[in-house]
Amino acid sequence: MVTTKHPVMRNIIGLFIVLSILIIMPSLQYALAQGDEAGEYLDRRVVIWNLFFRMMTVAFVIGAVVSGTLIWLIWRFRESHPKATPTKYEGTGALDE
Amino acid sequence: MVLELQKPRPIWYIMFSTHHTDIGLLYMILSLSALFMGGALALAIRLELFFPGAQIIADSMTFNRMFTVHGTTLIFLFILPFASGIGNYLVPIMIRYKDMAYPKLNAIAFWMIPPAFALVWLGFADFTWNAYAPYSVISAPGPAADMWIFGLKILGVSSILGAINFVVTILKCKHPDLPLSKAPLLAWSFLTSSLIILVAMPTFAAALLMLLTDRLGVSRFFDPAVGGDPIAYQHLFWFTFHPEVYVLVIPAIGFLYEIIPRFSRKPIFSHSSGVFAFVLLAIVSFASWAHHMYATGMSFTEKTVFMIGTLAAVPASAMHVFNFLATMWGGRIKFATPMMWAIGGIALFFSAGAGGVVNSAMPLDFISHDSYWVVGHFHLFVMGTIAFGSFGFLYYIFPYITGRMYSEKWGIAHFVLSFVGAVMVFFTQHVLGLYGMPRRVFDYPPIPEWIAMNQFITIGAMLLGIGAAIFLVNIIYSSAKGKPANMDDPWGLGGKYYYPYEAKNPHHSH
Repeated sequence: MVTTKHPVMRNIIGLFIVLSILIIMPSLQYALAQGDEAGEYLDRRVVIWNLFFRMMTVAFVIGAVVSGTLIWLIWRFRESHPKATPTKYEGTGALDE
Repeated sequence: MVLELQKPRPIWYIMFSTHHTDIGLLYMILSLSALFMGGALALAIRLELFFPGAQIIADSMTFNRMFTVHGTTLIFLFILPFASGIGNYLVPIMIRYKDMAYPKLNAIAFWMIPPAFALVWLGFADFTWNAYAPYSVISAPGPAADMWIFGLKILGVSSILGAINFVVTILKCKHPDLPLSKAPLLAWSFLTSSLIILVAMPTFAAALLMLLTDRLGVSRFFDPAVGGDPIAYQHLFWFTFHPEVYVLVIPAIGFLYEIIPRFSRKPIFSHSSGVFAFVLLAIVSFASWAHHMYATGMSFTEKTVFMIGTLAAVPASAMHVFNFLATMWGGRIKFATPMMWAIGGIALFFSAGAGGVVNSAMPLDFISHDSYWVVGHFHLFVMGTIAFGSFGFLYYIFPYITGRMYSEKWGIAHFVLSFVGAVMVFFTQHVLGLYGMPRRVFDYPPIPEWIAMNQFITIGAMLLGIGAAIFLVNIIYSSAKGKPANMDDPWGLGGKYYYPYEAKNPHHSH
């Protein structure tokens, strides 16, 4: 199987792995802020909703980046795009399996 | 190559065949039947919820029975058998072997499913697809509940037999010139999901036996009145069925790994990262089962462990998404129907995952638990990702099975209706959950926001239903009268890439 090893793309994957970890760390912080006593959950309702909106903000920002990338990719690399050219793999047998 | 409709054989030749393409075809036909039956129940459920109060369903018990059979059918009789069908069809070809390792066992695994299908549908149990104790032990009416338990038991054995066959086929029957590390990612997806089944499924098999003996009065494992523990059932159930989520989604990701490079006219960006992410997902799938149970009174430490275990799936899932995006980058993408489904599947996979991250953070789980948020979240996975990948792959493999092309126009109409419908239904269900509507309710108070959102969801569900009807007509009509496909390259993509064309069915030489 031939694989593409473009350095820019490798960096982007590394960047997104780091971003994924950055999502986990704040979640842990929220968890550690939680009490363990029964009956406290309702008392902390406002705090929990606050955390919810903060996490949704993070999720929407990352979602916008990923979805935006996906939309740009399908617009830019569609075969009817004026700048579309055959990929370097076409006609070489590299796509045969 | 099967080409059943061009070279018809008596139906019993196929039914009693042990050839992997025949069994693959049987799996696909059965799973699509289940899709339409389970989908019809979903539409009835949504029509019932269009207004508060009883509408078209007589009572809450009937409603409970309907969503129980809906869930059981679509998970166990549509998604799993569909994946098995594709795996049967392609895995032996991909690893260059003449058939599955154990062809007769393969046929037995398939033929265990129709009796289980009948037990689930003729019983029509009411205790949800979870069958949580103590209700399932003490109150669930028989024989429906017992029939469901037997049906699931049979399906579990079938899954285990199928998984053994896939693991042995891939590990022991692959061509000596094909290193495992270079096996196609679809084959890897079946290897990892089969290994998950082998580790996870015996636990549920034990839980079902315990449930049955409890119902028969022989034991009291889950009856709190005599010292039993109903929470233990939840642990046993989710130890199997959280990994099972990955058994459902990993083959769908494998489908996308076939479609996206093909229609981008590029090889996959990183084969090794795809393999790594599959293996990582298989491992972490066992580290997160109790995130379904935060509300059962678990200790803070337990909840923290399972929250971290759940979030560990994020990097592996992200690796798949970015592998897809990087493969498309620099490609020359043809937007035929399979690719449309694949792109829609990626978009909804990300949305479903983002909702899951919110769920997995334990303080936030308490505002979404048992609400419509959860319904929206897991449906976005099973419909938005798994079913989208499956539909895309079905269109992809259609010319290779039938020798004819489906209607591209109607395939795209099916996709557009399904994508719009899925967004309308499942995104709105998240919001409805935040507004406080609990799941599994037959009736709800006439709160204007709840009514408006329920109606919006029902309209979206109808779009999904119309799309499914178009799909059914398209595949039946095209199978018989579609334009003959160019079997070397049905979509004019260049490259002689594909495996199914090389499937040899010994029956066709007669």
